[in-house]
Amino acid sequence: MAVFGSFALLIALALAAYNLVAGGLALRLIATKQPTAVAPERLAETARRAGIASFVAVTAAAVALLWAIFANDFSIAYILEHSNRSLPAAYKFSALWAGQEGSLLLWAWLLGAFGLILRRPRGLDKLYACASDILAGIEVFFLLLLCFPATPFALIPGYVAGGPIPADGNGLNPLLQYPEMVLHPSLLYLGYVGFSVPFAFALASLIVRDSGERWLRITRRWTMASWLFLTLGIFLGMHWAYAVLGWGGYWSWDPVENASLMPWLTGTALLHSTIMQERKSMMKSWNIWLIFSTFLLTLLGTMLTRGGLVSSVHAFAASSIGYWFLAFIVIVLAVCLFAYLPQRKAMKSVRQVDSLLSRESSFLFGCMVLLAACFVILWGTLSPTLSGLISGSKVTIGAPWYNSVAVPIGLFLLFLAGVGPLLPWRATLLKSIRHNLALPAAVFCFTMPVCGAMGLRVWPNGTFDRGNFYALLAFALAAGVLTAICSEFLRGILVIAKESGRNLVWAKYRLIRGNPRRYGGYTVHLGVALVVVGLAGAAFNRSVESEMEINDRISIGPYTLECAGFTQDSNANYDSEYTLLNVSKNGKELFQMTPEKRLYHASEQPQTMVAIHSTPAWDLYVVFEGMNPDTGQPVIKAMLNPLVSWIWAGVLVMLLGTLVSLVPKQRTVDSGQQTVQKTPEDFE
Amino acid sequence: MTEPLGLIAGFLLFFALFVYTFWPQRHLASQREQTRLDDLLERKEQLSEDLRDLSFEFHAGKYSEEDYQTQRAQLESETARLLVEVEHLQQA
Repeated sequence: MAVFGSFALLIALALAAYNLVAGGLALRLIATKQPTAVAPERLAETARRAGIASFVAVTAAAVALLWAIFANDFSIAYILEHSNRSLPAAYKFSALWAGQEGSLLLWAWLLGAFGLILRRPRGLDKLYACASDILAGIEVFFLLLLCFPATPFALIPGYVAGGPIPADGNGLNPLLQYPEMVLHPSLLYLGYVGFSVPFAFALASLIVRDSGERWLRITRRWTMASWLFLTLGIFLGMHWAYAVLGWGGYWSWDPVENASLMPWLTGTALLHSTIMQERKSMMKSWNIWLIFSTFLLTLLGTMLTRGGLVSSVHAFAASSIGYWFLAFIVIVLAVCLFAYLPQRKAMKSVRQVDSLLSRESSFLFGCMVLLAACFVILWGTLSPTLSGLISGSKVTIGAPWYNSVAVPIGLFLLFLAGVGPLLPWRATLLKSIRHNLALPAAVFCFTMPVCGAMGLRVWPNGTFDRGNFYALLAFALAAGVLTAICSEFLRGILVIAKESGRNLVWAKYRLIRGNPRRYGGYTVHLGVALVVVGLAGAAFNRSVESEMEINDRISIGPYTLECAGFTQDSNANYDSEYTLLNVSKNGKELFQMTPEKRLYHASEQPQTMVAIHSTPAWDLYVVFEGMNPDTGQPVIKAMLNPLVSWIWAGVLVMLLGTLVSLVPKQRTVDSGQQTVQKTPEDFE
Repeated sequence: MTEPLGLIAGFLLFFALFVYTFWPQRHLASQREQTRLDDLLERKEQLSEDLRDLSFEFHAGKYSEEDYQTQRAQLESETARLLVEVEHLQQA
């Protein structure tokens, strides 16, 4: 399998390189109209097919690696390092991207798969052909990595054909043996690689001088889908950190976490600013540079995760390929600049923002704030590395620094998420805006004393508590945003119901079908508000830690945990120890929790499995921290984390909203009814 | 899979993909380029959408009557200018 897999990767590299060179040459010949022996259209067609063939070859290599993983072929170093015989099938599958080489193979395969969709036969369209060429260029880079410094088919040192191979592998990192970890990396990569497509079209539009918003229209859904995958990947990662790492949190501003957040921030800005270009022919340069930045940040993210540039608990596969990535990032940046500079005059906006109090300005502010957040996080992430290079001593930047900067920025973004949809397009009179903002502002003001009455004090002991202040602001803003978005839905529904004479449910359906992008977007804002409520709950986390013998009790919040016993279990993959805890509330026994500690055989690494009981109000979170070596007693840590489930519920709402946005707009009016059925589209 | 078998499979894959890539294609079509007229028609579509949106938001109570009339007049004026250019290009 190693020979076949390596051969397949070399074939894929040759074909992708042909796609790049022949495709570029064909475009050049078409542009210059030089007479040639081979028709440029024919050359372009072979380039297109080479792109498809390259994907087939990468698929063959991926299948070969999977086959070898399931066949326990430990003569391949990658499989020896990331699998073992008793590893369950789902984790054997995820071993494909558990290491650096495999994850690069996943990158290349996804890129080829996306290219396959773009390369379906459609006649020679210069924009598509050039975008396909750019994707081939990216593919060449990843295949170069896979063929030379990071080949997944490298054999173990000293191995000769037919010689002895190790009896078993070292196994998958225990931290990765968790259901979310089967999905989390692949979702993140779907997001990362997905942004390559709008990047390729944006760059292609500059190279082939395709004026207008065509690249935006082609890639609108790609961008949304990529953003969705990245969002889901980030939140699955947060849930994994929460459920596996055992510290009760979900975000620690680790460089690798930041690496996924940065393209998400620029991608979010792009999703908003493209609306400005499509509707108002504004922010053309912004959009071009936003997608360039997003793509470059996805490369940076991959480099941080896989390249060994920064140290992180999440950098599962650090290595020296960072320099390859650095060189590629520099090349991409140079190509972007050379393509943009000759076209910069054509990128000038047709219009300017008419008023500070308009939807245009709220989009502009939002984009600027998202970029500012991205820059701050980039600065914090790279500071230790840069300071080490410049002064020789690494400056460490921790969570308090990020929180002090990112939390106010996040709250301002939440404010814009509520205010933006209420502002009309173009300049409007102040009285219109006052009318639109009155209800959400009233709810915002009302929520503050309500939170105070529920025990949220900004000056708890006569001193200002910044955490509580931010939490209060977050709750009040989230309430205001929820009101603003619901009122937007209600206004639209009432107009359609009044005009059509139909019920509110039907009117809501028509409203959303008439403009799914807008109302899907509003739903995403609702989800963001719910997520912020969940995040703000962290200000009230409580914890208690104690050694426990049988029948010992600890109390936290309304719950009492009583130790009922200990048990052990063993399977081929790991040994585990459980503590059995009976949980009661007001003297009434409710349920049993079993926090667990595992010891994996292959890697001989321990792993904590947290027990979590979730309710809408809070999570009861229990960790079995192991035995106290002095007393031989088990140490139990219990935490009460308020509102955490609101985060996961908010993500589901964001998922729903994005899916709605992806639905095509319904343009026709259903005239089968006696009354005229109006949608937002019909009001003219 | 042994080493010779891997090599044979690799060569077969290479041969199949080579044939697919360079197999003669009879019908080679190219798309016409986007013209100024196409851009204007796209813009006209967008302006119609802006007008519909403005009207819907007015009915939803987001604009005062004064705001609505001002903005409607601006959009209609822009649409009229655009239609003149479209007509001019179509006649040419």
